[in-house]
Amino acid sequence: MKKEKLYDRSSVSYKAKRLFKRNWSGWLLMLPGLLLFLFFVWAPLAQNVILSFNETKGFESVGFNNFDNYIRVFNDPMFTKALANTFKYILWSIIIGFLVPIFLGLLLSEVVHFKPFFRLGIYFPSIVSGIAVVIMWSYLFDPNPGAVLNQLLTALGIPVSQFLSNPSLTIPLIVVTMTWRGAGGTVLVYLSALQNIDNSQYEAARMDGAGALSRVLHVTLPHIMPTIRMLFILQIISVFQVFYEPLVMTSGGPDGASISLLLLSYRYAFESFDAGASAATGVILAVIIIILTVIYLRISMPKKDKVSNKWRRYAEKVKK
Amino acid sequence: MLKRLKSKSSGILTAADYKKVGFRIVYWIIFFILSVAVLTALTPVLWLFISSFKNAEELTATPYHLFPEAFNFNKLAEVWQMLNFWQYFLNTIIVVVGAVLCSVVFNGLLAYVFAIVKPKGYKIFYGLVMASYMIPALMSIVPLYKQIIDFGLINTYIPLWFMFGANAYYLIMFKNYFESLPKALFEAAEMDRCGKFKAFFKVVIPMSRPIIGVVAIFTMTAAWSDFLLPYLVLNDDSMMTVMVKIYNLQSTMGTVQGFGPDKLLMILTISILPQIVIFALFQKQITGSSAVGAVKE
Repeated sequence: MKKEKLYDRSSVSYKAKRLFKRNWSGWLLMLPGLLLFLFFVWAPLAQNVILSFNETKGFESVGFNNFDNYIRVFNDPMFTKALANTFKYILWSIIIGFLVPIFLGLLLSEVVHFKPFFRLGIYFPSIVSGIAVVIMWSYLFDPNPGAVLNQLLTALGIPVSQFLSNPSLTIPLIVVTMTWRGAGGTVLVYLSALQNIDNSQYEAARMDGAGALSRVLHVTLPHIMPTIRMLFILQIISVFQVFYEPLVMTSGGPDGASISLLLLSYRYAFESFDAGASAATGVILAVIIIILTVIYLRISMPKKDKVSNKWRRYAEKVKK
Repeated sequence: MLKRLKSKSSGILTAADYKKVGFRIVYWIIFFILSVAVLTALTPVLWLFISSFKNAEELTATPYHLFPEAFNFNKLAEVWQMLNFWQYFLNTIIVVVGAVLCSVVFNGLLAYVFAIVKPKGYKIFYGLVMASYMIPALMSIVPLYKQIIDFGLINTYIPLWFMFGANAYYLIMFKNYFESLPKALFEAAEMDRCGKFKAFFKVVIPMSRPIIGVVAIFTMTAAWSDFLLPYLVLNDDSMMTVMVKIYNLQSTMGTVQGFGPDKLLMILTISILPQIVIFALFQKQITGSSAVGAVKE
């Protein structure tokens, strides 16, 4: 009787014990990382959502106030500007910054002379990033007609520019500096994806009479498509975070022409000490990001690359 | 020069293609474009280095001269001593070392659990990590700042170190890499009755040098140039990192006696130089980082 009970595998306590026995070490290993995520990511995020529905004094909430913070923020003309700017940033970063790393990654994977030099050179700006470089750019974009870039423009017969003080140029120029800084790291990611492509697939394509362009289109691109997709989302997310450049280079100006949502949120918090408005701006920003990401994933996730499967089958045949 | 092209056997274009003149021209166009790219990457910083040796008058002089009259290295020492820059450098190194350790250990461990150990319920937490991955960390800076104050961590390096231990990007890089490791390896560790924790240090870490190198370098540069949280957390001048100090100098310029744009440019140069040294020292790892994916069975 007793023995039977002991081995009753359907009993709850047995299942719980087994569950614990099999998993405790894994749970324990997860704990430190999860605690850090809790402290640095999840808890602040949750508190931010709560804060956005509260009236605040300094950084402390003094009671629920419904959507007042959101209404206040939406009525702020600076917010409308920041919202529009954020999409301008994204648009420009797709135009300027999205294709450059893919292209450079492709070229870099093909070059055989001075390859390490090219790789290091292109990666160089990523290693010297920081406030220092942003300040450097603000000096490079000196609107003084005698300054370096305007001298260069004059030498090329182009009229001098106001650079960052020109409202229609300020965002594209900031995106140029962001691309300069960020492209190198992205190129390395593409390069590693490119080097991961099994060479037999190229051989198979070649045996099938595929020209260089069709090799790129039918072997290379399908292979790096997941990476492209991933980095595209990452880029949009990182552009949403644009903050240092407008803070240092333009302080959001001229007249809010380059202010970003994050910079506005920062200003609400640390310049007008309105934590509620800051939190509300942050939540709006998060909601936009989530919506964009979901839409994007919906569009790009399905449809397994049939083409690349075709070449894979060829490759297997060749191997045999 | 052409010998290398003739022995190229992998990739999109190979020796077979380079027999044709057309493809050889394409190759040199590739070469040219890459050269332009490298030049674009290097020129702004070179300009900064050169300009930082100019004195105040030379900086605003018309007509514009690219080079200063003389490269006066005394200026470097003078600015360095004027600001007692050692302090800020040392602070930054303390921050960077701690951040790299936290980043590798905590993200690596969590990724190992998500990729290999997979205890029951891990998917919930993985989902949470992925969900918050999309949302910028700066977004909830106010509650985080408040939390840091409540925990008494203001004016310490602790939050700056541990923040790098909760980074979804590094976590995913680790996870992808661990998943590409041969399964047999972990089965063998299991057979040896090697504990899960031990397996992480005995099996996973030694097998993961390339990815650890990449994450370490990424963290190093990120921690070196991190600004907002250090700016909010470090209030004492003696605790400040280089980036925080530079920002303070720039925003208070004109109020400090004898500190003008020419000196600021020199400070920028000084702050960038060690990054270049790190870069030079870890070239191999950086090179290795692009080979990460190439480590197959």
